[in-house]
Amino acid sequence: MTQAEINLCSLLLQEHFGEIVEKIGVHLIRTGSQPLRVIAHDTGTSLDQVKKALCVLIQHNLVIYQVHKRGVVEYEAQCSRVLRMLRYPRYIYTAKTLYSDTGELIVEELLLNGKMTMSAVVKKVADRLTETMEDGKTMDYAEVSNTFVRLADTHFVQRCPLVPATENSDPGPPPPAPTLVVNEKDMYLVPKLSLIGKGKRRRSSDEEAAGEPKAKRPKHTLDNKEPIPDDGIYWQTNLDRFHQHFRDQAIVSAVANRMDQTSSEIVRTMLRMSEITTLSNAPFTQPLSSNEIFRSLPVGYNISKQVLDQYLTLLADDPLEFVGKSGDSGGGIFGSRCARIFRLVLQKKHLEQKQVEDFAMIPAKEAKDMLYKMLSENFISLQEIPKTPDHAPSRTFYLYTVNILSAARMLLHRCYKSIANLIERRQFETKENKRLLEKSQRVEAIIASMQATGAEEPQLQEIEEMITAPERQQLETLKRNVNKLDASEIQVDETIFLLESYIESTMKRP
Amino acid sequence: MAGNKGRGRAAYTFNIEAVGFTRGEKLPDVVLKPPPLFPDTDYKTVPLKTGEGEDYMLALKQELRETMKRMPFFMETPEEKQDIERYSKRYMKVYKEEWVPDWRRLPREMMPRKKCKKDPKSKKAKDTGKVTSLTNTADVLKKIEELEKRGDSEKSDEENEEKEGSKEKSKEGDDDDDAAEQQEYDEEEQEEENDYINSYFEDGDDSGAESDDNVDEATY
Repeated sequence: MTQAEINLCSLLLQEHFGEIVEKIGVHLIRTGSQPLRVIAHDTGTSLDQVKKALCVLIQHNLVIYQVHKRGVVEYEAQCSRVLRMLRYPRYIYTAKTLYSDTGELIVEELLLNGKMTMSAVVKKVADRLTETMEDGKTMDYAEVSNTFVRLADTHFVQRCPLVPATENSDPGPPPPAPTLVVNEKDMYLVPKLSLIGKGKRRRSSDEEAAGEPKAKRPKHTLDNKEPIPDDGIYWQTNLDRFHQHFRDQAIVSAVANRMDQTSSEIVRTMLRMSEITTLSNAPFTQPLSSNEIFRSLPVGYNISKQVLDQYLTLLADDPLEFVGKSGDSGGGIFGSRCARIFRLVLQKKHLEQKQVEDFAMIPAKEAKDMLYKMLSENFISLQEIPKTPDHAPSRTFYLYTVNILSAARMLLHRCYKSIANLIERRQFETKENKRLLEKSQRVEAIIASMQATGAEEPQLQEIEEMITAPERQQLETLKRNVNKLDASEIQVDETIFLLESYIESTMKRP
Repeated sequence: MAGNKGRGRAAYTFNIEAVGFTRGEKLPDVVLKPPPLFPDTDYKTVPLKTGEGEDYMLALKQELRETMKRMPFFMETPEEKQDIERYSKRYMKVYKEEWVPDWRRLPREMMPRKKCKKDPKSKKAKDTGKVTSLTNTADVLKKIEELEKRGDSEKSDEENEEKEGSKEKSKEGDDDDDAAEQQEYDEEEQEEENDYINSYFEDGDDSGAESDDNVDEATY
């Protein structure tokens, strides 16, 4: 794990779980697999806190444990899984586009809680949906269950590995840690539950809990005594499936950019047909005959078989092979002319200095300048082709070439650094204005409570004036900046996804 | 010999034209220091994408950030005691739900160990911790009284348990008391705060029961 990745993980863990969990998590990422006492000793935290932190991390699938010989249990952190936390909004939004609000909330609850039983998810989502509905209406459990089943069928959620059922005849003390078993067949099998009920609206009297805590508040609103029918069967989101979906989307939009809408539809159909048949990280889909494609095209498209065949030939001949990167716009750091040169070298594989100038139609001096800039940043490399065995420089060809894999890795590394910078800047901005933010929160709270008790307009205005105009301005600026930084984070993560997918798929090729 | 233009004079070992410089032209300056921390970029960056999807994701992200802070998974660092108790702190405190992990899925060592004690529950009064449903002092006092009464009757149960020497982690009858969980963590914390063994302050009869199972003679 590179330093940049570790740094980013640290920021993410801290934002989402607090400093203690961050300390433990980062320590594990840095040092690899370690047992409990060593962690406590090396990080200087109390055993109790280490245990709690590990429980949280394990619950969210960020740390796994393994039993080694002599009964020592070692814990290992999954750095790449921590980095996925950046992508949570994207997963949730995708679920929303595919399965509407119910799907969105199911995925959100699963991501927030790490793993949950189906009954717990259904109940929570129904409650949340009921809150947003009009008075008197409630959300039925059955509807939520249906959406859950659909998510499971399309593999967007999957079962967690199970604790094996222990037999009572097991002699000796129980093992120090359960060995979780992955049952491939049952991974998407939804347990038969008859969840009958409706979502409960949280009554306003319950919300008074802040002011009047009861001595013994019951944990669940349902009876405690009722055994949960699907106890022990936990579900988690299947991130790989989401990634597959993103990849398909990227491919389709790349084709649409390069050619036209119809060809992108064709590609989308092909991908949809191969969704279940192909493994998510296979380099090529299963071969599909044009007849099959023809039959599976969406209903609205009336293109004849011939036209379809033509399109398919076009797609097959395209040199870009629509994988990974799609075209860019603008040009980014080096400008659009540099981008032109870069694309040129990428396409032609190897070029001499003079050829670059000719093909790109850029004056020699500028071309030189740009090439060297890109060279110094390692986007382009030089390839030596000696004419003579002694590699004399005066008699060697020097060709410019792009090594995509290393360029991709380099870009990825830069992306990690950028996101870390974005997060740090956002935290800095928030901290700078902390006093002001707290003040505005207090004012809002006061206004809200006054409105609840029926205050008049002039009183409300008076309270609002507690925040002066320049302060309001400052708040506005802060909000704008934070939004921009957040949006940038999301988009850099998209690039990270593309680059990571590309690197992964390139490495797998034999 | 040929091609060597004399000692000390700069001579290129390769054909300079191949790399694109004409002969005699001024070469760019040699870079003598590390690049600046915030280099000027000649070109403006690509503008951010905008659209309904992006806006929604942005809102989601900010919401998620806030929600995560309120979840029981977010472990607060215990802050240093401030000299003046600020009023605002009291009503801005967030009450979190308790989260109990499924112990069957975790290694056994994860469970906080519950050592049997003489009067563990009275320590709860000092608990100002993260998750508690008792901030009302009147309630606390009432609870202490209840627990003291209960504590005496349970002492004998604890002795029996210890005699069997079982390492069971089963909770006792006060299962549905939220504070039982909290209390276990407390015990660990209390344990490590001081250097005394826990049995240091216990009564004579208790320590007698702990030391030896089979000994019936009186302790001195």
